[in-house]
Amino acid sequence: MILIKGSTLFDGEKLQEAPLDVLIEDKKVVKIGPSIEAESAEIIDASGKVLCPGFIDIHVHVREPGYEWREDLESCSRAALAGGYTTVVAMPNTDPPVDSAPLVDFVARKGVALSGARVLPAGCVTRDRKGQFMAELGKMTDAGAVFFTDDGSPVATSQILKTALYYTRDLGVRIMEHPEETSLTSGGQVNEGLASSVSGLKGVPASAEYIDVVRGIALSRDTGSPIHFTHVSTALAIEAIRAAKREGLPVTCDVTAHHLSLDENHVLVSKFDSVYKVNPPLRSKGDVKALWSAVADGTVDAFITDHAPWHMDEKDLPFQEAPFGIASLECSVAVIMDTWLKLGSPVPLERILQLFTSSPASLLPDSWKGLGRIREGSMADLTLIDMEEAKMVDLELWESKGRNCPWRGEILTGWPVMSIREGMIFRKEI
Amino acid sequence: MPQEKALVMTQQDMFRILKRITIEIVERNKGLDDVVLLGIQRRGVHLAKRLKELFREIEGVDVPTGELDITLYRDDIPTLLEQPVVHSTSIPVDIAGKKLVLVDDVLYTGRTIRAALDALMDMGRPANVQLVILVDRGHRELPIQADYVGKNVPTSRYEMVEVSVSELDGEDKVIITERKEV
Amino acid sequence: MNWRHRNLIDLDDWTREELNLFLEQANYMEELLNRPIKKVPALRGKLIVNFFFEPSTRTRVSFELAEKMLSADVVNWSSSGSSVSKGETLRDTAWTLEAMGADAVVMRYGAVGAADYLVRKLKKASVFNAGDGTHGHPTQALLDLHSAWKKRGDLEGARMAIVGDVLHSRVARSNIKAFSKMGVKVVLSGPRTLMPVDMVALGAEYDPDPRSAVGDADMLYLLRIQKERQEQGLIPSLDEYHKRYGADNELVGSAKKDVLVMHPGPINRRVEIASEVADGEKSIILKQVRSGVAVRMALLYLCLGGVRN
Repeated sequence: MILIKGSTLFDGEKLQEAPLDVLIEDKKVVKIGPSIEAESAEIIDASGKVLCPGFIDIHVHVREPGYEWREDLESCSRAALAGGYTTVVAMPNTDPPVDSAPLVDFVARKGVALSGARVLPAGCVTRDRKGQFMAELGKMTDAGAVFFTDDGSPVATSQILKTALYYTRDLGVRIMEHPEETSLTSGGQVNEGLASSVSGLKGVPASAEYIDVVRGIALSRDTGSPIHFTHVSTALAIEAIRAAKREGLPVTCDVTAHHLSLDENHVLVSKFDSVYKVNPPLRSKGDVKALWSAVADGTVDAFITDHAPWHMDEKDLPFQEAPFGIASLECSVAVIMDTWLKLGSPVPLERILQLFTSSPASLLPDSWKGLGRIREGSMADLTLIDMEEAKMVDLELWESKGRNCPWRGEILTGWPVMSIREGMIFRKEI
Repeated sequence: MPQEKALVMTQQDMFRILKRITIEIVERNKGLDDVVLLGIQRRGVHLAKRLKELFREIEGVDVPTGELDITLYRDDIPTLLEQPVVHSTSIPVDIAGKKLVLVDDVLYTGRTIRAALDALMDMGRPANVQLVILVDRGHRELPIQADYVGKNVPTSRYEMVEVSVSELDGEDKVIITERKEV
Repeated sequence: MNWRHRNLIDLDDWTREELNLFLEQANYMEELLNRPIKKVPALRGKLIVNFFFEPSTRTRVSFELAEKMLSADVVNWSSSGSSVSKGETLRDTAWTLEAMGADAVVMRYGAVGAADYLVRKLKKASVFNAGDGTHGHPTQALLDLHSAWKKRGDLEGARMAIVGDVLHSRVARSNIKAFSKMGVKVVLSGPRTLMPVDMVALGAEYDPDPRSAVGDADMLYLLRIQKERQEQGLIPSLDEYHKRYGADNELVGSAKKDVLVMHPGPINRRVEIASEVADGEKSIILKQVRSGVAVRMALLYLCLGGVRN
């Protein structure tokens, strides 16, 4: 039994005003109230901190199977938990790609038995991620896949995307589309605009993201199927998604911590440090502003990390030669909190917390929809946040094998200090 | 502003000294044939020009006069805090077979003159090289001596000799100051 | 003025004052080219490695001459037959060179950010960027500035037209910076497919009509058009480029009477420039080359001259 006393409770929807106690027994939250007594319980004083449902990150690159020197399920799981997440979704662009039921099963079984966050599998939309033939989406659903995505790439043709949308309409598993028009972006390395003009590197135009989002929305309209756009980074694309939602279409999206806190100037000011090289690229200041507006008005449904760990030998290269990706599981929550604080809290804290919890949970298949909430009887996945804690991002302490993090050495405010998964304290720093 | 400790040469002193040196040069070279004046950057250049003027007045001869910058031959740069900038080198005639009269303001360790000689060796083969110095302050580190000395001024290593010329500094004078801490 | 630069990656943080001092120093260095013995001991004992991963004869030779005239020890390392082609990383190669005692590395490398990267990796040795992909070629800009300044003196208020493939040109990027800092107004011209999207951010204006861009220009700078641009589909043919944008006597005629025609070399006759202009009296293309050695000498002397740090 664990008794968490005196926290400000966020139940997935609302921040409670008065401090509350939460009692956990076996794997569940059994009681919530103003002052609970429990003699044999381990007591945790959480006064001054915010107790939330365990955070959920629906877009993480685990690198296993096939690239275990960069990260594996175990290290990723521990890193996620250290970062405040109790559930993450593993992207299937591995080697071999997770495009069949046995591979989904491999990740699903291993993923719930790790020593950190639980890892849920996503499956590829197409066989081998090649974009030619639809994979066995039905069998993969039965094996436990929670999303279908060819992430790393958009679904190759509109025809295949439309077919897959129709097919998944009643499976209960969403298609997550990586929005990119690849003939426009091929060879691109930075935002087309200031960064490309000054550096001479080929630019990735905002319209490339927009075009694919518009395509996906049109097909969602045709098929009546939900579609989710991941790591949306431009004002253009976010506006199209806003309009689609207004129209009542089942369109959802997520944004990364780095696109909310960094912009293309960082590439230049850092003198082309490859740690700022990411796909989609860091965009203009105007795009960052538009993303925050979208967070405020409900256009954005979730925060993700798009955690993309690389071995430093692979990433520590001149900018133009380095691969794309930022590793950020262990500091991403702090990045968003810190940026939010520095912007003067432009959005109610409640909204921020929803995008870490109940909102991404609502995108998962029914069997996992219980995540992201705290109520009597819910599974005890909890994250405790200290909004006042200021701490340096210290890569030496990281669980992740990846060290390609642009915030190394920076002091950020707003950190997760305790993570509980299925009623067990996995990590405690108070 | 470093402390001025003593005034060792006034404007009038300088004028008389340069005039005396002019006559010594003519005497020793038995005239001014093949004599070339070469001022060492920066103040040596101005002193050389004054000698040229005096030669014209006194002997009626136009002595070819040039400038020599020795920055690229210095051996003391690792001891400095600021990278010294280069100034112009311009020698109006071929120095082969000429009697080169080097002109500099202060002779101290002798290293500047050593650098000047190295530069000249790369430029040609003069008949001889003579040295005019306005102030010799002693403390030689190399076997270098001046042929024509304006004034001998004994100093300690903690002192500096500052030569001012009106073309650069607005007035003519030589003072001794306390050395700036390095 | 205390010279504060130990590396040269690009000219972004050079002040106008520093550029003026530098140009004068380059002038004095040029005098050395007239001496019978073109050697001074200023960089004696310094080891400089010329690290060229992209083919270049003119820039490398120009640097090598400058280094040797300053009595530095020179090692040339080019990509074919180097360890990098065998898979050793740039970082490891650089550390190896530093361990061998290199005081400076002059590098041309086909990736944007490579020179900045090298500065981060080296502890002691200075880095001189001889071209990092499409980003910068600052010594070219310095020698271009020097040749124009020698002819014109103070460039404040002058007008420079750059015509050609600006999009892929590190020479253009560095030149826009250098000349703008000296008070020159820079106008770009060429097909839009060969222009960056944000030219104002670079510090220049754009005029799609080369005749009006070149109108009244004091300097006309032509950039190479590479055949690959046609292969990439950015322009339909080199001949069409030449007809619309090539510098012939007619185009040059729109500029000021005493316009300086410049080019970083090597020239593509009948593409960006007609022979009548390349060989004509307004061209200072060969003078640019001569400036190159003097400018590189000034750079190496000022940055590597050996003051106590």
